[in-house]
Amino acid sequence: MAKKKGKKPAKTAPSATTEKPADKTAPSIDSAPPAAVRRDPAKRGLAIAKPRAAEPPPEPPAFWFGFDVAWAKLLAFRLVFFGLLALDALLQLRHAPRYGAGGFNVAQLPLLDGLGPTRVLYAIAQLVCAYLFVLAALGVATRIAVPLVAAIYAWLYFGSQLDGYQHHYLVALLLGIACFVPWQRPAEAGHATTVRTWAVRLVLVQLGILYLWAAISKLDAAWLDGSTLSVQIQGSVRELIDDTVGIKLVARLTILAELVLAVAIWVRPAWFVALPLGVAFHVGILMSNLEIGLFAYLMLAMYLLVIPDRAYVWLAERRPLEVLRRLFAPSATRDLLVGLVTLSGIAIATTLVALMCRLPFSLGVALGLGLVPLALVAHRRLRGRPGGAAIGAAHLVALALWVLVDRTTSVSVDYYRFWGGSSRRLGDAEAAERAYRKMVALAPDEGSGHFQLGRLLLKRGEEREGLEELRRAQELETARARAYVAEAQYLAGKGRTAEALAKAEEATYAEPTDQTALDLVDQLSGKKRPPAGAGSGASDDDQDQR
Amino acid sequence: MVTLLRWLYATPHVGALLSTWRGRLILAFVVLQLLLPLAYFARKDPHDERFAWRMFSPMRMARCVPSATLDDAPLNLAGEFHEAWLELASRGRFQVIEAMGARLCEKYPSKAVRISIDCTYLDREQRTYGGYNICDVPEL
Repeated sequence: MAKKKGKKPAKTAPSATTEKPADKTAPSIDSAPPAAVRRDPAKRGLAIAKPRAAEPPPEPPAFWFGFDVAWAKLLAFRLVFFGLLALDALLQLRHAPRYGAGGFNVAQLPLLDGLGPTRVLYAIAQLVCAYLFVLAALGVATRIAVPLVAAIYAWLYFGSQLDGYQHHYLVALLLGIACFVPWQRPAEAGHATTVRTWAVRLVLVQLGILYLWAAISKLDAAWLDGSTLSVQIQGSVRELIDDTVGIKLVARLTILAELVLAVAIWVRPAWFVALPLGVAFHVGILMSNLEIGLFAYLMLAMYLLVIPDRAYVWLAERRPLEVLRRLFAPSATRDLLVGLVTLSGIAIATTLVALMCRLPFSLGVALGLGLVPLALVAHRRLRGRPGGAAIGAAHLVALALWVLVDRTTSVSVDYYRFWGGSSRRLGDAEAAERAYRKMVALAPDEGSGHFQLGRLLLKRGEEREGLEELRRAQELETARARAYVAEAQYLAGKGRTAEALAKAEEATYAEPTDQTALDLVDQLSGKKRPPAGAGSGASDDDQDQR
Repeated sequence: MVTLLRWLYATPHVGALLSTWRGRLILAFVVLQLLLPLAYFARKDPHDERFAWRMFSPMRMARCVPSATLDDAPLNLAGEFHEAWLELASRGRFQVIEAMGARLCEKYPSKAVRISIDCTYLDREQRTYGGYNICDVPEL
C-alpha cells in the first residue's frame, strides 16, 4: 500500500537496471520504503558468503523498487481496469444457476470442492464484486475494496472449475497484485507526480510470463502448420488471411508476436514496440470472433500501462477532467455537504434499484451495501479526514451500473432462463417452474419462457394454464414449430387426435422443415410410425453454455 | 541445489530482493509463475491446461464425447449433471469426469458405472479413455 515516506533507492545500486523513472522533473512518491533492506540477513539465520556479511546492506533493486508511474496514468488505468471488471461481474451473473446445480462441484483446488459457490452465493458475490470494483475504479476506499474483491474473486475462481477460462485465472492473479498498488492519490500529488510502485512492474512481468508460455505452448507441429489456427479463425478475418499471407504464416507470426511481447511489455524502453504490437495483436483477436469473452478487452486495457506518462498528463490537464477533479477533491468548505450527499446517494441508489433493477437479489444486496458508505464516511470522520462526498457519489454510480447493465442486456432474463433450463433437465420441476414464471414476468414478449412454462404446467396436469402459455408462445414464435408440436403431442396423449392433427399441421406451416412436426403429422394421419426419440418437441435454447 | 541457492543469494539482485518482505513476495510470485506452467507436462491429463497459459493450443481443440452406462444400460449424463460440466467433460477434463463417476457410484451404489470419453485431436490419433467400472477404479 502507498506510503509517503521512505528512501528513494540509489540509481547506482549494483542491481539497478538502466531504466529511468517516468518523469525525472516530476516529484516522486515512494510506495515501497526500503527500510527493511537495512536489516542484516545474517541475523535471520540465512547462510551467505563470508565477505558479504561485512558489506553494507544491499540496496533494493531499482528494477522493482524504482519503477515510477505518473498518477494520471495510474488513475486512468484504475478507472478502466476496475470498470471493465465491474461490467464483467454483472455480465457473469447470468451464469449463476450453473453453480451448485444438482449439488455437484469440482473445485480448481481439491480442498475447496465443498466450499464452492452455489447459485445464490455466486449471484450475490458478483453483485458485491461489481459494487466493489466501481468503488475501486472511482478511487473510493481502495485499501479495503481491492483486497476484499480480490478475496471474493479468488474464492469464485478457485472454488469451481466452471470459471475455467484463462482470463479468470489472470484476473485472480492481477487482483492479488493490485492489493499492493497505491491506488489513491495523495491530495498534494499532481497529475505529473510519479508514484513508485513495484506492484505495477509485477503486473507487467506477469503479462510477460503469460505471453512467454502462450508462445511456448504453440511450438507444436499442429500450430506451426496453421491447422490449429485454421480451425479457430473463421469469417471475414479468415478470408482476408487466406487471400493475403496465408494461415501458416499468421500462425508463425503469432508466436513471434507473443515472444516479442513477452519481453517488450515489461521493459520500458521497448514500450514503443509493445504498444502498437500488443494493441494490434489483441484487436486482431477481437476481430477474429474467437470465443474468449472479456479476455481481449482486458488485455487491451493492460496496454494503458505502456502508454507514455506524458500522454495521460496532457489529457488530465484538459479542462473537463480538471473540473471533475476539483469537484471531488477533499475540501473543508464542503464538509457540511458530505452527510447530505452520502444519505442522498444511498437513498437515490436504493430507490433506483428497488424500482428498476431486475437482477436477482439486487434489492437485498443494495440495502446491505447501503451501510458501506455510511461506515466509510463515519470512519473518515473519526480519523479527522476531510471530504468524503465521493463515497456517496460512488455508491450511487455503482448501483446505477447494476440498473444500466440490467436494462441494456439480457442478463436478468438469461439468469432465469438458464436456471429454468438446468432445473428442468436435472428433474427439479418446481424450481424450473418458479424460474420460468419469473422469466415470463420479466420478458413477456419472449416465446421461450411461455413455451417451457406451458410444457411444465401440462406435465403436472394444469391443462388450462399450460395450453394458454403454449398458445402465447405460438403467437410470439410465429416461425417455430415447437409450441404447436408440444400442444399437438399433449392433445394426442389425451386422445383428441383430430385437434392434435390440426395443431401438428399448423406446426408444419410455421416451420416447414421441422422434422418432429412432419413426423407427427404423418403419425397422427396414420401414414407412418413415429421414429425413435421423436416427439419430444423440446428445445434446448435455454442451455447455459458459452 | 543448496550451492545454487547460496550462489543466487550472493548475487546482488537476488540478495537485495530477499532482504525485504516485498522482495521475497515478488521473487516467490515470479518463480511460481515461471515454473507452474511446467506442471502441465507432468499431468496425467493432457487436456487439463489450467494455470499454464496455453491459450489456443492444439490440445484446446480436442473434442471428446463423454458417455456412461449403468449396469450396461446407457445413462443420460445431461439428466445427471449441468451442461456446463458436460462441456468441461467434452474437453476431456479427467478431474471432472472422475468426479462425475464418483457421484454416480455414490448415487447408484449397487450398480456398475462405466464412464468413458472418446477424444479426437488435431495432431494425434483418436483415443478412448475409461470404459471400465469407475466405481472399482476411480481414475481414468
